[in-house]
Amino acid sequence: MKKRFQKYLVIAVLCTVVMCLFSVSVMSAGSEATVSEVSVVQSTDTTATGARTFTSDKNSDSSQSEDKISQKPGFAERFYTNFIQDNRYRLLLNGLKTTLLITLFSMAIGLVAGFLLALIRVAHDKNGSVRILNLLAKLYITVIRGTPASIQLMIIYFVIFASTDINQTLVAIIAFAINSSAYVSEVIRSGIMSIDVGQFEAGKSLGLKFSSIMTTIILPQALKNVLPALGNEFISLLKETSVCGFIGLADLTRGGDLIRGITYDAFMPLIAVALIYLVIVIGLSSLVSLMERKLKKNER
Amino acid sequence: MSGKTETANNALIHVDHLVKTFGNNEVLKDISIEIHKGEVISIIGPSGCGKSTFIRSLNLLEEPSGGKIYFNGQDITAKGTDERLVREKIGMVFQQFNLFNNMTVKKNIMHAPVLLRLMTKEQAEKRAMELLERVGLSDKADHYPAQLSGGQKQRVAIARSLAMDPEVMLFDEPTSALDPEMVNEVLNIMKDLAKAGMTMVVVTHEMGFAREVSTRVIFIDGGIIKEDEAPQEFFDNPKNERLKEFLKSVLK
Repeated sequence: MKKRFQKYLVIAVLCTVVMCLFSVSVMSAGSEATVSEVSVVQSTDTTATGARTFTSDKNSDSSQSEDKISQKPGFAERFYTNFIQDNRYRLLLNGLKTTLLITLFSMAIGLVAGFLLALIRVAHDKNGSVRILNLLAKLYITVIRGTPASIQLMIIYFVIFASTDINQTLVAIIAFAINSSAYVSEVIRSGIMSIDVGQFEAGKSLGLKFSSIMTTIILPQALKNVLPALGNEFISLLKETSVCGFIGLADLTRGGDLIRGITYDAFMPLIAVALIYLVIVIGLSSLVSLMERKLKKNER
Repeated sequence: MSGKTETANNALIHVDHLVKTFGNNEVLKDISIEIHKGEVISIIGPSGCGKSTFIRSLNLLEEPSGGKIYFNGQDITAKGTDERLVREKIGMVFQQFNLFNNMTVKKNIMHAPVLLRLMTKEQAEKRAMELLERVGLSDKADHYPAQLSGGQKQRVAIARSLAMDPEVMLFDEPTSALDPEMVNEVLNIMKDLAKAGMTMVVVTHEMGFAREVSTRVIFIDGGIIKEDEAPQEFFDNPKNERLKEFLKSVLK
């Protein structure tokens, strides 16, 4: 019953997305034209559209608007200039590759690092050990959560690695892993602290080690509880990587920007980029809910 | 009260002037007692008197602030004692059951013996099924704790504890969190255990159980053992004034 409902929900969401895309594209053929027109006139470029509008401006003032609309390229043509011509889709594709690379690696590293931070904090809260480490972890989390990711990225690239010739993708992975670890650690810590202390005591009373209790009893339950929050964190991480352009890295967002710079069409590349992010996020969240359902079986 | 020597002797558990404080609060003031093999000892007392703290000290879930505890003649409060080895031999059943929620009933029972390499997986599985048979829950082997009633959970918890082959079992108010109609199913299992010769220390509010099943009843009040007698004498002829009051209020 529930499964079926969720299937319908996914289908409904996809349908809505497709319909939105369709209606927006139909509308854009009409009203959008004027918007891009303005930008074309303002900029001193030499593309085909620019030249055409310029001549029509000189010819007649009264029939100007009608002329523009009739001479405006259609959806198919704009699709062609923005994505097919000169293989411009490659800018998006390569950008997507970079975005996914950064997201996946920083996610993995952030998860491991966040996990270790959480363990330090929990070990301190549970039995008062590792005081210095705990203080450092607290400081780290405060600083990282208290400053924007874009600033952290630029500090790492333009300040810390300023004198070295380091790969920008690597810098981005380091920056976002650091950023993500702070959030992940707090998510995991809250998960561990939410597990009843009796689970610990029962494990102890059977003669189990702290580490065995942690890995076989506490963490499986804690992770199940925080899975939605972790999914959330990864979704925002994916979107956060869109600031990679700040250090000149050609990620998905920057790929769209590059196309915009060539074709002077804002609508097509931006919507395309937005849709690609949306599709990945939908995929990611359905993956999370799939895992949730699998783990839920022991609740009732 | 037992006035025996203070050195290690042939008692299974020998508690020697145990003190436990939480901050400025002295919960256990001076507790000395000997528990011999095969004894079933009920501990009663008003809430906050330290009976839970006392029983949790016996397997070192609470670290004693003073005094000594000997288990099989070995001082387990001495520095360098491996608490885990001690706990393997001392089973514990909690008021809130504390079954591992992420495992099936069978896995709950098998988990520790397999992880500690006391048994192979097959042996542990066989043992788990035997124990479930004993507590009357073999049909629940593949259920998760959330699918069981309170009484069933507590019976599984007892089975889990028994799987370690403990020399003594500690029960910390095992029936206090149960609906009244489920109390007996747990008490009956405990009675069977007592009959089979298991050494048991039970913190309880079940006066019927204390009277019928136990070999000794202990009254703790204000962190001190006020009375330590055979059940007949304890209930019919209480000497301590505080105990008389207490019995009057609970047996009404």
